This record gives sequence, C-alpha cells and structure tokens, in this order.
Amino acid sequence: MIVCVAVVGHQNNPLFIQSFTEADDALKLHHIVHCSLDVVDERVNNPKKSGPMLNETFLGLLYPIENYKVYGYLTNTKVKFILVTTDLDVKDADVRNFFRRFHAAYVDAVSNPFHVPGKKITSRTFAERVSTIVKSFGFSSAG
Amino acid sequence: MVREVSESCVDSLLTEMVSCYCNRFYVNKPELAARRIEAIGYQVGHQLSERYTMERPRFTDHLEAIKFICKDFWSELFKKQIDNLKTNHRGTFVLQDNKFRWLARMSVDPSTDKVSSVEDNTSPTAENKAAQSMSMHLYFPCGIIRGALSNLGIPCAVSADISNLPACSFVVRIKAG
Repeated sequence: MIVCVAVVGHQNNPLFIQSFTEADDALKLHHIVHCSLDVVDERVNNPKKSGPMLNETFLGLLYPIENYKVYGYLTNTKVKFILVTTDLDVKDADVRNFFRRFHAAYVDAVSNPFHVPGKKITSRTFAERVSTIVKSFGFSSAG
Repeated sequence: MVREVSESCVDSLLTEMVSCYCNRFYVNKPELAARRIEAIGYQVGHQLSERYTMERPRFTDHLEAIKFICKDFWSELFKKQIDNLKTNHRGTFVLQDNKFRWLARMSVDPSTDKVSSVEDNTSPTAENKAAQSMSMHLYFPCGIIRGALSNLGIPCAVSADISNLPACSFVVRIKAG
C-alpha cells in the first residue's frame, strides 16, 4: 500500500504532498520524504553509484526505513516525485508504471494556464487523479 | 487521446495576439508589447517542455538540451526540425529554420522592394515598419525557446534574426553560472 506521495520542486520546495493513512502519522511521512531529498541529491551528483541507470528519470529505491520503502523519480525539469510504500516486495515495473502515470497527471496539472509555476499544486482534479493512481497501484502493471 | 487544433487557428491566434498587444494595449510602447508577448511565449515554452521531456532520460549538458529543442521540440511544434545549428562552444547557439512556419504566410509589401531606388525618402520607413511588425511576431517563439530552456535549468537570452525570409534564425545566449 502506498502511504505517501510527494512532488518537490527544483529548489526542494514542496509542491504537493499527500498521505494516504488513517493514522495520524502525516508528520512522520513528511519527515521521510524530507530525508529522501538528500538521497536524491546524492544519486544525481554521484552518478557512479547508480551505474547503468545513469540519467534515467526513475531513480529506483532510494532507501528503506522502518517498515517503509522510499522510491524516487526526477524529471528533466528537476522536479522530484517521492513515493513511500509499506509493501516490502514491490516490483520495479509497478513502481515505474506508477511514476509514469503520476508524471502524466503532474504534466496535465502544471499545463493549466492558471497554475503558477513553482507554487503549490492546488488543483482538486490533480488530487483526485493521484488518489485513483495510488489506489490502482500494484493491481496491474498495464495501464 | 490526442486533441488537435487546426493550424490556421494557431496562426490566426498568434497574429491576433500580436496585433492586440501592439495596436490596442500598448500602442506607443512597442518595447512593452514585446515584453508581454515574450512573457506569454515563456509560459507556453515552460509548460510544453514539461510535457515533451516526459519519456526521456535527463540531459547531461547544455548541448543535449539544445539538440532536444532542435529536434524533438521543434518537430512537435512545427512538424520539422531545425535545419542548421551553429555554436561557438562558448554558450552561444544559432538555430536556423529555413522555412519558419509562422512566417511562411507572411508577405512584405512588394512595393517596398521595387521603389527603393526611386523614392529614397519613403521606402526605408516602410521597410522598417514591415521589419518591425515582423519582429513583433518573433517575440512569441523566442519566448517559447527561452521558457523551455529555463525550465530545463538553462537560463538564457533568445533573440531572432530575419535577414532573408522565410528563413529565420534564433540566437540563444546561455547565461554563465
């Protein structure tokens, strides 16, 4: 199950963050997302570590923490997508597929002429689309 | 699902936008009109670059990003690639399009070419006027290029040059640092 997704701008400013848990652990999840930004920076600035995945937008597993796994994605425009999940045996293909659909949703949201670049994404349509994508995560790799 | 818009609509919209800004909003302030039109282009380029870079690996250097603008980005916008790319390897790139689509249907008043030798006092102004209104139409594509590149993390200045129509070259100067 995905517990949290986030979009972080190129100056590490939060653009969108949404948690999907019943419990009151939003702060903890935000903290996890915050910590992952350092890992993203590290991956991007030391490309040797990431090996064959050089310059790919999908950054793979950033780090495991407690019961969570954190995945990252960095677009060409230096916007980061972070995914926190509780599933411990996640297929890479599923995560890739998730990020691909998430990216499409993000692009549609920022293409709105009323969206101000660099500001938080307040679109309700985007939030709804994200929760649909989150709900369908893991059920099928096609989509 | 791909939604399409007829090309003539886009052409008309561009023409109408330029004439609106030049002849209605900022009648005697062409610099201000130019800035506004460029700003609209900037936003369009900013958003388009987000969309068109979606399924590709990240760029490693400036040249790669410029090549992306020349090939994929230009193909998406104008169904053709940039015809010639020159660079001085010090941050200046010249992108030449031999048949720039948005200028293809524009014509300069033919009288200005013929009479230039006879009536020396009127033709330069007429020619100037034509060149000026032509260059007004180029602030929008300049803004698009600048918007796309700055969204890719490359701050730059873009200007256009129309010495022989319908060829058009865009000069991109990347800001250091």
